[in-house]
Amino acid sequence: MNVIQATLTGALIGGLYALMAAGLSVTWGVLRIINLAHFGLILIGAYLTFQVATSWHLDPVLTLVVTVPAMFVAGAAIQWLFDRLRLTEFNSLLVSFGLLIITIQVTSNIWSADFRRMSADVNPYATQSVALGRLVFPVTTLVAFGLAALVVLGAHLVLRRTFAGRAMRAIAQDRAVAGAFGVDHRRLSVLLGGVVGATAALAGMVFALSNALTPDTAYEWFGTVFAVVILGGIGEVVGTFAAGILVGVLSGVVSAVWSPAAAPFVLFSAIILALLLRPQGLFAAGGVR
Amino acid sequence: MSEPLLQVRDLDVRYGDAQALWDVAIEVHEGETVCVVGPNGAGKSTLVNAVAGIHPAHRGRISVGGVDVTRLRGHRVCGHGVAIVPEGRRIFPRMTVLDNLVLGAYRKSARRPHRETLAGVYEIFPRLAERAGQLAGSLSGGEQQMVAIGRALMAQPRLLLLDEPSLGLAPVRVDEVYDAIGRINERGVSVVVVEQDVQRALAIAGRAYLLGEGRVVMSGPAAELRDSAEVRRSVLGL
Amino acid sequence: MIRRGGIGLLVAFLVLVAVGAFSDPLGLPSFYLILLGSICFWIAQATSWNILSGYSGYFSFGQAAYVGVGAYTTAVLSGRHGVNFFLTVPLAAVLCGLLALGVGAVAFRLGSLRGEIFALLTLAVPFILAAFARINQSIDGGQGTTVPVPEVPDAFGSLPELQYLLALLIAAIAVAAAYAIQHSRTGSALAAIRDAEDVAEVLGVATFRYKMLAMLISGVLGGVAGSVYALQIGFVTVESVFGLTIPLFVIVMGVLGGRTHWLGPVIGAVLIVTLQDRLSSYGLDAWNSIILGGVLALLVAVSPDGLYARLRARPLVSLGSLVVVGGGLAVLNVWGEFLDWLVVGMLVAALLAIVLGSRWATARLPLGRRARTTAEPVPAEPAIAEPAIADPEPAEAEAGTPGDEPGAVLVECRQVARYFGGVHALEDVTLDIRAGELVGLVGPNGSGKTTLINLLSGAFRPTRGVIRLDGQDITRMAPHKIAHVGMARTYQIPRPFDSMTVRDNVAMAIMFGREPLPLHRARPIAERHLATVALDHLADAHPADLNLHQRQLLEMARAIASSPKVLLLDEALAGLNPAEVDNAVRVVRRIHESGITIVIVEHLLRVLNQLATRLVVLDRGTCLADGEPQTVLNDPAVIRAYLGRQAHV
Repeated sequence: MNVIQATLTGALIGGLYALMAAGLSVTWGVLRIINLAHFGLILIGAYLTFQVATSWHLDPVLTLVVTVPAMFVAGAAIQWLFDRLRLTEFNSLLVSFGLLIITIQVTSNIWSADFRRMSADVNPYATQSVALGRLVFPVTTLVAFGLAALVVLGAHLVLRRTFAGRAMRAIAQDRAVAGAFGVDHRRLSVLLGGVVGATAALAGMVFALSNALTPDTAYEWFGTVFAVVILGGIGEVVGTFAAGILVGVLSGVVSAVWSPAAAPFVLFSAIILALLLRPQGLFAAGGVR
Repeated sequence: MSEPLLQVRDLDVRYGDAQALWDVAIEVHEGETVCVVGPNGAGKSTLVNAVAGIHPAHRGRISVGGVDVTRLRGHRVCGHGVAIVPEGRRIFPRMTVLDNLVLGAYRKSARRPHRETLAGVYEIFPRLAERAGQLAGSLSGGEQQMVAIGRALMAQPRLLLLDEPSLGLAPVRVDEVYDAIGRINERGVSVVVVEQDVQRALAIAGRAYLLGEGRVVMSGPAAELRDSAEVRRSVLGL
Repeated sequence: MIRRGGIGLLVAFLVLVAVGAFSDPLGLPSFYLILLGSICFWIAQATSWNILSGYSGYFSFGQAAYVGVGAYTTAVLSGRHGVNFFLTVPLAAVLCGLLALGVGAVAFRLGSLRGEIFALLTLAVPFILAAFARINQSIDGGQGTTVPVPEVPDAFGSLPELQYLLALLIAAIAVAAAYAIQHSRTGSALAAIRDAEDVAEVLGVATFRYKMLAMLISGVLGGVAGSVYALQIGFVTVESVFGLTIPLFVIVMGVLGGRTHWLGPVIGAVLIVTLQDRLSSYGLDAWNSIILGGVLALLVAVSPDGLYARLRARPLVSLGSLVVVGGGLAVLNVWGEFLDWLVVGMLVAALLAIVLGSRWATARLPLGRRARTTAEPVPAEPAIAEPAIADPEPAEAEAGTPGDEPGAVLVECRQVARYFGGVHALEDVTLDIRAGELVGLVGPNGSGKTTLINLLSGAFRPTRGVIRLDGQDITRMAPHKIAHVGMARTYQIPRPFDSMTVRDNVAMAIMFGREPLPLHRARPIAERHLATVALDHLADAHPADLNLHQRQLLEMARAIASSPKVLLLDEALAGLNPAEVDNAVRVVRRIHESGITIVIVEHLLRVLNQLATRLVVLDRGTCLADGEPQTVLNDPAVIRAYLGRQAHV
């Protein structure tokens, strides 16, 4: 019983991991940029949700009306900057690390380093849960999973069915040839940056629903989210979703059966195993000479 | 004769320090099939890549239909009706055949009629219709070449550039590809074929250019080049 | 020059020791000792990081793992289990060394390891260790650990003095280690790995071993400094030692100061720590990370080579501005105190160096061009080049007589095949190459020529088949071992070690060749090899200042410097103009005449027809023809492969 509950709760929480990882994975796969600043956007998304909901007494989910456009602009601006600087994949990691540090300090200056949590009267979701027999699911995890599923499904459809989506996949596989067919990768990358920023707003909102916020949480996401990105396959949205669930279940079950202390080790081993077993499969465009 | 569809003058192309083309001039007129032959490393691919905007020109002028496209950013060149079948095909391996083809119609004026264009491509390559849902990377070499040509046709080009369409294909497949090129030309598309299979290319072309070590060594009617000792010597190095 | 740096280091160390020992008589506030101690800690950490990440180019984001494990070892053992502080330090070193070796063994064995993946893997390590420490509260009781003050021998004076002197000692050891490594064989190997790892491996550098060595040294130094850090801060929590600010700090210090020189991280650490201290003293703690993050992002984009190189280019301006601005503020004495003046002076000097440096760089560009154009005519004067055929290794001479009389079989390929997925790049190629031959390897595009070169040099392993060199089976050997058996190669696109001079590029091959020599003995020999390719006049230039032809000649000089039995030339003439081709052909011929067996991939059949003693034609991965150039070029099958199937034969 315990294990079933842990598995299902883990899977639902995995939705949040997938939501956080999806944007990172797509930017890495399509634009060859490892954007650590994405974690900063999620953090700001979470704090904005907290702030808007608290000051305006708005339902936290409705705050998306504010946060999504704001994060869209921020994400697009960062992407524009990266494009201007013509960074290599590796330097993008360093520059975005710098940006992340700045973001974290700025949030800390604005909202202090103390824990902040939406009070129960503005956040009805935190305390509610759905019972299914003897299994109990907090509403927040259901929201996380639902939104993640929606985002992944949406991204999947856009990437498969629209001209812009096909162009993005084409850029990921062969930028020069895509260009020869009229694909302007600069414009698309700014657009993609914006959309990825918007998913950061969603992830931030979901996180704020069920957690107390402190600027340093951004660091705590690193390990788990990168595990999801690498396991899911860089640039693969559906893979990311599956990996999110896998990682959620793995952490949940290991914590429940064994000990919470073991969870990080299991995760880390999973990344290494994935890298050892499927090295080519994990990276884009395996070119043959 | 009227103004040529493609006019390349005084073209120099460099890769960093290495200069690949010197003072190259070629012309292609509406409805023509022109081939560019020469030994490996003569700069044939560089030439078509420069025309398609994949690699920038260092000096000189490239105009398509009278419009100077030399300094346009790469993705704008195809808006003037140029499409390329790159060397080694360079299809998008992790996209389906259909997605590869539809991507070809990315440029604005080709998007709306892309369903009709697609029907036309399937007419030329019926096998692509059967394989529409498969990942392009899983196809055989000949089928991948069809995808690459089909993708270029989806852009509704006035000028089709083919870079070594016979590379790595079995002889039967080469026949199929060259049949298709002939039919495409009959529909009014001007064609430039770059080939190391010299005889094959000269057989379908009206006019031809011989490149050697980055320069145009010889040009004229294809039949003339076919019988030329110069071509034989240049390609074989004898 | 080496000695001067070492003496400077020693003098600085002694002065700083004296400062600590006589801080009381000097009337130095203990506040200064704490600041100096903190600077020393960061110098040690940044230097530890730099030995791995700066020297070898593998950026680690996991420095906090060493600080954390080092500090926790000392804090928990001495604070909770009563172990003597001085015993915990070596233990911390051992634990961190083991940790580093473990991470390295996993990371460097990954087939797909690239810089980004290494960075992310190392990022995960402290995160996991921190989670482990946080969850297993039995380690530190869950509240953090107070580090007891160790029994202080009288000679050390007060606790602040002890903290400072220990930190100073560790920093000095770290910097001395970085200094020694930079001027050693290991330093050259690491620089080569940073510039072009697989080229280094092919030249004979055992890259895995050197990377592991860098990991180990970095880990031990980081751990020892972390252990002393526990004493410096007095109270250790997970947050204070495993946090991401530690990698942030060391990376910023390294990038700011400069990563390729031992002094770089020292400069970075001094600047950053004093700046931080001043910001705190003005209550601007909240701006610390913002400034640091900004500095990192900006520097990577604007000046990724760091301050050291810039300061060195303008030593007088830098020192002058520091003295004028700092001194000026002191004389005016309207604002601040000594440290403020110092920090403002340093910042102005650093900014000036960066700004002037970039202008200096742009001013230098045309100069570089000029050097290039003046160098251009050189190939046209073969007269210079003819003398001294460098032949320092007797092994070369006995390799066989050049020309018509081929010797014993040197290279044997038996049914070698290589598939990439479903693509059969090579299919059952069987080939013998005899001593003294000059074999031209030709074939249409995609026929498998470069694949064969890659198999012979060990870059790829064959899917099937056996390759022998001089009787030894090299089929599954690591590339650096194949190099030691006697194989050398060049690359189609030249891949020099960009950070080294032309001379040292060639010397690398001698230092790590079959009979390794130290750098100072390798250099004169390298110059003889450069003379063979007529590049000796450019020995002090950097590869970036060479034109394509000269870079290709450099490739050849580097390859023959490892005194190979067989030299593989991969399209060594591609992209050259006719005069340059003629010169390159002369060089190839000269190398061949010195007794080295050559396999050359080339498109220009006209050239091979004159040059090669034998032609091997590949087509679609199989061997189509093999024999005398004239015979092969008249072979109908070859003509068909080149001219097309309808060729009239």
